[in-house]
Amino acid sequence: MPLAFLVIGYGLRYGAYSFGHTPSFADYLQSLCRWDCSWYVRIATDGYDGYPTANQTNVGRWAFFPLYPLMVRTVGTVFQLEILSAAVLTSTVLACAACLVAWPLLGKDSRAYALLCAYVLSGPLSFHFTSVLTEPLFLLLTSCVLLALKRSNYLAAGAFSALLSATRLVGVFIVLASLLKIYQDYRLQRPGKPFAYWILGKPQILVAILISPAGLFAYMLYLRVTVGDGLAFGHVQRAFGRVAGNPILFLWEGLSAVPAEGWIPSPPQWSALVAVGGLFMCVLLAWRRQYGAALFCTLCIVLPLFTNLASIVRYVGGLAPILLLGAQILSIRTDVFIVVLLLLLASCYLLTQAWIGGHLALV
Amino acid sequence: MRWSEQFVSPSLMGAATYALAISLAVVEAGILAAALLPNVDSDYRAFYIDGTTTCLNRGVSADYSIGEIVSFRRDGAKRAKDFKVCGWSGPAGDGTHSLGESSRLRVRLTNARSPIRATLEIAPVLRPPQDRQRVFFSINGIPTHATTLIGPDIRSVSLDVPDSALVKGPTLELDLSYPDAIPPTRSASAIYKRAIKLTSFRLNFASLGQQIPTGSIPPN
Repeated sequence: MPLAFLVIGYGLRYGAYSFGHTPSFADYLQSLCRWDCSWYVRIATDGYDGYPTANQTNVGRWAFFPLYPLMVRTVGTVFQLEILSAAVLTSTVLACAACLVAWPLLGKDSRAYALLCAYVLSGPLSFHFTSVLTEPLFLLLTSCVLLALKRSNYLAAGAFSALLSATRLVGVFIVLASLLKIYQDYRLQRPGKPFAYWILGKPQILVAILISPAGLFAYMLYLRVTVGDGLAFGHVQRAFGRVAGNPILFLWEGLSAVPAEGWIPSPPQWSALVAVGGLFMCVLLAWRRQYGAALFCTLCIVLPLFTNLASIVRYVGGLAPILLLGAQILSIRTDVFIVVLLLLLASCYLLTQAWIGGHLALV
Repeated sequence: MRWSEQFVSPSLMGAATYALAISLAVVEAGILAAALLPNVDSDYRAFYIDGTTTCLNRGVSADYSIGEIVSFRRDGAKRAKDFKVCGWSGPAGDGTHSLGESSRLRVRLTNARSPIRATLEIAPVLRPPQDRQRVFFSINGIPTHATTLIGPDIRSVSLDVPDSALVKGPTLELDLSYPDAIPPTRSASAIYKRAIKLTSFRLNFASLGQQIPTGSIPPN
């Protein structure tokens, strides 16, 4: 099924790209390389900046976490591909793998699985998963952690969490989902001693928890050695114009950014609406007693909101627990499933054009 | 029986796992401590960590002969580039725009001899109801001049280079700070504020007896 949607998705995205162009595959790859893509390509090609940066810019590359560009560089070296092609190949494989991991997470429900595969590989935001961004890796690793937790394999969850924390900063919060699952298992076992004592008596669980942020710590160590500032990934946000503010104010500003003409929501309105929708899905996750996933998704949405609405559509659209729940809900009825599937495919074409055109909500 | 228990006793395995957990905790605590105590220079700290400036000092400078007029419009972009240390954007068609709450120019004089007078042609960036921009000048850290730009026209602003600014060497750092700089939106970062457009810069030897008085700092 992933292969079928992959082919359909490439057809739709290539069709959207070639509208009004003289198409070529190299130009197609370049057209989809928008916004953060160029940062990852540069990191995969030349590595990270030291300080002062080589080209005297304020915006060092430190904000972008290393695992994805490292994988791209490895794929490029092994298969002798130029970096952009290697990155697209890496993303595509990761996105397909994320779909495969979702199969057991969806209880082997083929309709929900079809919706998830359609969304990831040929859906409205499929260019996020198949071009040069961390989304496919983040989705895959989050799904791997969730699967490991479902099987109460804490060590595997810890190992995948470590990789997730080297993919994007918010990835480190998946450890909270692990902790909640461990606590739920503790409650089920009723061991008769306090949680803290119980966990201290389980060295494997201690290792699983402590290894979860290892990717982040490794990157911090690297930055401390090369830049002198282990928190450079956070401090450099100032050079990108991100300043801490009130997330509710940012949401309100977004919602009230009425378009100058017409009825189609403005980019800030889309961003704010998606953020609110994402938070609603977090509530639904909690209501279905998926507390760890709900907490992780809430943090992944709320923390970026403390700076502004930039990229929030991408962040919400790549959260595995929300996608899994959405696929389950929308596949309950056959008629709804068919309509949603068709909408996903149709919107792939339209939103790919918006992405290539630089629509700000899709950043 | 687990495969590991065929080779290692459970108690030894448990001890090794505890040792691994403790090692992880110690290493991570060490990295966290190192991250909380960065080893960076004062420019990095001021811009990235403390956020006390929007102008990140850089090691650019260019030789300058007294009397040369440097254009900060598009026609002089190549020459002006190496004088712009930080806090500038452009050039655009109407000059090089200030970016942030302060800007800096740096020149390395090839023929330093006091008294020297700096002249800048600048125009304010205004957004109603704001009708003026205050600009504070300092040279090599010495407050030198202050002016208030009213109205949209380009103005010529002259300031004398203090003799003490040339004591340490032939390099002049001209800092401009803008207390009334305008952010593009209410919630935008201070690094995007706009205050002036610079169109040209020159240094001349000032004739003795023609010293211009240092501008008084206008009230808020």
